[in-house]
Amino acid sequence: MVNKLIKEDTRMFLTGNEVLAYAANSAEADFMYGYPITPQNEIMHTWCKLLPKTEAGFLQTEDEISAGFSTIGGILAGKRAFTATAGPGNVIMQDAQSMAEMMRIPFVCAVMQRGGPSTATVIYAQQETRLTCFGGNGEGFRIVYSTAGHQDLYDYMIKAFNTAWKYRFPTYVLADGYQGKMREPVTLYDPASRGITMVPTEKALLGPGEIGVDRKSVHLRNTYNMEEELMEVLDGYKADYERMSEEVQEWEEYKAEDAEILVIAHGIVARSARTAVDELREKGIKAGLFRPITIRPLAVKPLRTAVQRARQILFTESANGQLAQMVLEQLYGLNTPYTTLYKMGVGVTGDDIVNKVESMAAAV
Amino acid sequence: MARTKIALAGEGGQGVQSVAKILVEAGYEAGKQVLYIPNFGVEQRGGVSIAFCQIADETIGEPRYSKGDIVIMLSDRAIDRCKTYVDKNSIVVYDTSVCTKKPDVECKEIIGVEANRIANEQLSARVFNIIILGVLLEATHVLKLEDIKNAMEMALGKKFAAKPELRDLNYKALEMGMKLVKERAGAL
Repeated sequence: MVNKLIKEDTRMFLTGNEVLAYAANSAEADFMYGYPITPQNEIMHTWCKLLPKTEAGFLQTEDEISAGFSTIGGILAGKRAFTATAGPGNVIMQDAQSMAEMMRIPFVCAVMQRGGPSTATVIYAQQETRLTCFGGNGEGFRIVYSTAGHQDLYDYMIKAFNTAWKYRFPTYVLADGYQGKMREPVTLYDPASRGITMVPTEKALLGPGEIGVDRKSVHLRNTYNMEEELMEVLDGYKADYERMSEEVQEWEEYKAEDAEILVIAHGIVARSARTAVDELREKGIKAGLFRPITIRPLAVKPLRTAVQRARQILFTESANGQLAQMVLEQLYGLNTPYTTLYKMGVGVTGDDIVNKVESMAAAV
Repeated sequence: MARTKIALAGEGGQGVQSVAKILVEAGYEAGKQVLYIPNFGVEQRGGVSIAFCQIADETIGEPRYSKGDIVIMLSDRAIDRCKTYVDKNSIVVYDTSVCTKKPDVECKEIIGVEANRIANEQLSARVFNIIILGVLLEATHVLKLEDIKNAMEMALGKKFAAKPELRDLNYKALEMGMKLVKERAGAL
């Protein structure tokens, strides 16, 4: 058991990467595996700086392939382990992430998106949205929380551990370089003080007692002989995933109730959209926001309801429509017209959205 | 004051991010809402480095903004990169002893300061960025001098304890920066 550092509500002025390290500690994580890549390095720096107090563990591996697989190994050995990565690191960690999907490993990973493709920028983007949801050679049986600031980072990093250990699907906190590097005030707390009970860590292998007497044998498989054998397993996973979806899905609506123009955005861009919505309302334009918090699985019913209510939709992202692509698939059959504001690898400001929505309102 | 948007831009190594950290720490300690995004490339030195800071009384929404209330440009490349953050309501500050050109922008006011020359000739090259902090403080009045001094103590306290003359040097640099704005040509 690690020593938890946050015992009472503590107001701090931190970078998002620092917040994530504290959150993992508050979630009782006891081991981090990682490999450096900007803009997520300070998660491991902070985690390591706190080690003398937390008595947790850390292993810097030789690359992200190894970081991903080591995380799985740690979890199998009974550690509440996690990792973090970004950009090209996220790409090469997909093999391990697929394995976690296949073996139902409670794999927790923070992704701090940077510009892509390839090395691109170390700064910011929302271009790992599709990769984080659907990367690897699998079906995207993953849970992805997209955060919009430091309080979210703390709240959802804690939640990610519970979701992963409860449902046994790989779970992600999807943020970005802005959130990782920026500083803003945040309140850290002990999860128990918010009525949050942490789902306990269980040893997957080498559990207590005798096999066949005290417990069932464990057979974790990553390889199947027959096509049908594989499909049978995956059909089971799919049913589990669908059953769980309504329980885990989260979204936020802001002045969406009577919105004529509905902005759909996730993560930090949703925060700019809030600023824009307020400004547009002052100008007499009925704008609102729908922000999926779980971008995998999406909250489909609330999304369709909000879209049906609106006259026009605006998708805005720091990517070329990666969220929009996932959302549009779920809007099949609806015919609310949509417009897009995509800035690949660049921050979307409140003004950007205000100008776009004004032009949409004028065109009607 | 609802919200003050500050963009500080220079060459990597000029101390832009260090100054921004002191500024936002001061804002946080003064009980303001603050948000700071450092923005730079992969270089250890060189390349344009920008600090996007916001200090407000209320919760801050957008992390990045389109136009700054004050935009500080400390090199020619910073001028080129940061013109886009300037509009008619912006105050623009540039260093006349580093930049070889005046920013060609339409704005509320352009203030030219010789911070780099003054730092080298009268104080120390190392406090160039602190002079800029003084300039920023006087040009925005978003924070009090005491707030900044407290934040400097938090950031540089250990160095000050080892060499008390460094504190005086930094204070002088701050005051010098403020004076540059107070006594600028055309000041009221």
